[in-house]
Amino acid sequence: MSEQPTLEINALCAGYGRFDVVRDVALSVGKGEAVALLGPNGAGKTTVLRAIMGLVKQRRGLIRIGATDVSALPTHRIARGLAAIAPEGRRLFLDQSVEDNLLLGALHLRHDKARTQTLLASVYDLFPVLKAYRQRLSSFLSGGEQQMVAIGRMLMSDPEIMLLDEPSVALSPVAVDIVVKAMLELRKRGASLLLVEQRTDVATRVCDRLYVMTHGEIVDQMKPETIRSGGMSILNKYLG
Amino acid sequence: MLQFVLSGVAIGSIYGLIGMALAISFYVTCIINFAQGQLMMVTVMVTAELASSGYPVWLAALAGVACSCVVGILSYVIAVRPILLSNRFSFGWLVSTLGFAVIVENAAAYIWGPTSQAFPPILNGISLPIGGAVLTAQQLLAIVTAAVLAAGFEIVRRHTLFGKLGMATAADPEMASAIGANTTVVAIVAFAVSAIYAGIAGLLIGPSTFANPYLGDTFGTYGFIAMMIGGGTERPIAAMFGGLLLGVCAEGANALINSQASDWFPFIVLVLILIVSPKGLFSTSNPLFRPRRAAVTRG
Repeated sequence: MSEQPTLEINALCAGYGRFDVVRDVALSVGKGEAVALLGPNGAGKTTVLRAIMGLVKQRRGLIRIGATDVSALPTHRIARGLAAIAPEGRRLFLDQSVEDNLLLGALHLRHDKARTQTLLASVYDLFPVLKAYRQRLSSFLSGGEQQMVAIGRMLMSDPEIMLLDEPSVALSPVAVDIVVKAMLELRKRGASLLLVEQRTDVATRVCDRLYVMTHGEIVDQMKPETIRSGGMSILNKYLG
Repeated sequence: MLQFVLSGVAIGSIYGLIGMALAISFYVTCIINFAQGQLMMVTVMVTAELASSGYPVWLAALAGVACSCVVGILSYVIAVRPILLSNRFSFGWLVSTLGFAVIVENAAAYIWGPTSQAFPPILNGISLPIGGAVLTAQQLLAIVTAAVLAAGFEIVRRHTLFGKLGMATAADPEMASAIGANTTVVAIVAFAVSAIYAGIAGLLIGPSTFANPYLGDTFGTYGFIAMMIGGGTERPIAAMFGGLLLGVCAEGANALINSQASDWFPFIVLVLILIVSPKGLFSTSNPLFRPRRAAVTRG
C-alpha cells in the first residue's frame, strides 16, 4: 500500500455567491480510514462535501482522490468511481423503484454487468430489507429505508471515497442504529469514509479521527478517545 | 359525428406529436423550446426540396428529419445552454428560443421563398370507409405513427437505463450528475429526440399543408396547447392525449359551429381546462387522473 491518502484536501476555499462559505480547509482521509467532520449548523460541512463532488461552482485549492487531482473535474467525472455521496435529505429518485435507484448509482459500470450484480448483491447483503422491497417505488419507503437506499446507491459506484452527509438526521433511534452498523460494516470491508455529522455519539462510534469545523474553518482535530475520556465539554466550547 | 371525430383524431395525433416534442425537451431540461414548430418546418422544407430534385421520398424524408435533429441540437447549444450556464434559474431562454425560431423561419423564407411548395404525397388517394365516415390512408398513417411513437417513448422511459437516467435528470439534475450522468449530453439527446418527433409530425402533415416556411407558427402553437391541456409538462405522453382532445375539439367546432371555428374554439377549451386543472387534464396532479401513488415522503 502506498502512503498516499485516499482523500487529501489543502487550502480549499469554496462558496456560492460573493464570499466563501469554506475558507482554507485542509483535511485528509487515509485508506480504510473513517473521518468525521463535526460542527454546528452553517459551519460549512456540507459545502466541503459538495466541493469534493464538484457541486460547488467556486472552489479553489487542492482536492486529490488517490493520485487524481479532481479540483478541476466536472461532477459527473468525479462520480465515476472516485467519490460518491449519500447527500443531505437523501435525494432519492422518488418516482423510481429501489432497484432502479441502486442501478443508477452504478451508471458508469453499466457495461460491466457482472460487477454491477456483485455490487448489487453486496448492497442487499448489507441491507436485506431492500432486497424484499426492491420493486417498490422509493417514495413508499420509511425515512430509515430511504437512507439505506441512499447509502446503497453510493456503494453501487464502487468509489474510492464515500461521503455521507448527516445519515442519522431525522431518523428513529432504531434506524440510526442500523445506519451506524452499516457504516461499521463498510469499514470492515475496507471502505474510506468522510462523515458529516451533528451527532457526536454517531461520529465517535464510527470514526478514527474527528475534525471540528465552525464558521467555515477547521478549528480542531481529535481522536474519539479524547471525547470518550474527557466528555462532551471538550466539544461544547465549539458547538455552543 | 363519426367523421369529425376520426379526422380530429388524425390531426390531433399530429398536434400530439408536436406537443410531445415540446414536452420531451421540457421534461428533461425544464425549458420550453419555442422553436419546436420551426424544427417541424425544417423537416417539411428539406424533404420537399430533396423530393422535388428527384431523390426518392423515403431518402428525402430521412434527410429532412436528420436536418431537424441537427437544428434541434443547435437550438440547445446556441439558445439554451449559454443562458443556463450563466444562471441556472434564468428565464432568458423564453426570448432566446423565440429568437432562434424567428431566425430559422426567416432563413427558410429566404432560401425557399415565402410561398408554399409542393410536398411529395405519401399514401395519397387511398381512402378507407369506416362506418359512415371516411379515413384517408394518410390520416390512418398519422394515427398509427403517433400511437407507436407515444408508446415507444413510454417504454424507453420506463424500461431502459437511458430512460431511467432521463427520469433521474428530470427529477434532480444535480443528483443525476452526482451519480455520474453527464447532464449536458442527456439534455442534447432530449432535444434531438424532440426534434425527431417534431420532424415526423411534419412528414405526416406535409402532404395536406404543403411546404411553407411559416408552417411552424401555427403548428408550434397547437402543439403548445396540446401540451398544456394534456399536462405534458409532467408526463410527455399526456401531451399526446391533449393533442387528440384538441384535434377533436377543433374538427368538431368546424363541423358543428362554422368553418372558421377551429381558429378560436380550441383556445376557449384551453382556458377552461387550465381553470379547472391548472397543470393539465392528464397530469399527475389532477385528482381526477392521479395515478395511484403514495405521497412523497422526505421526513
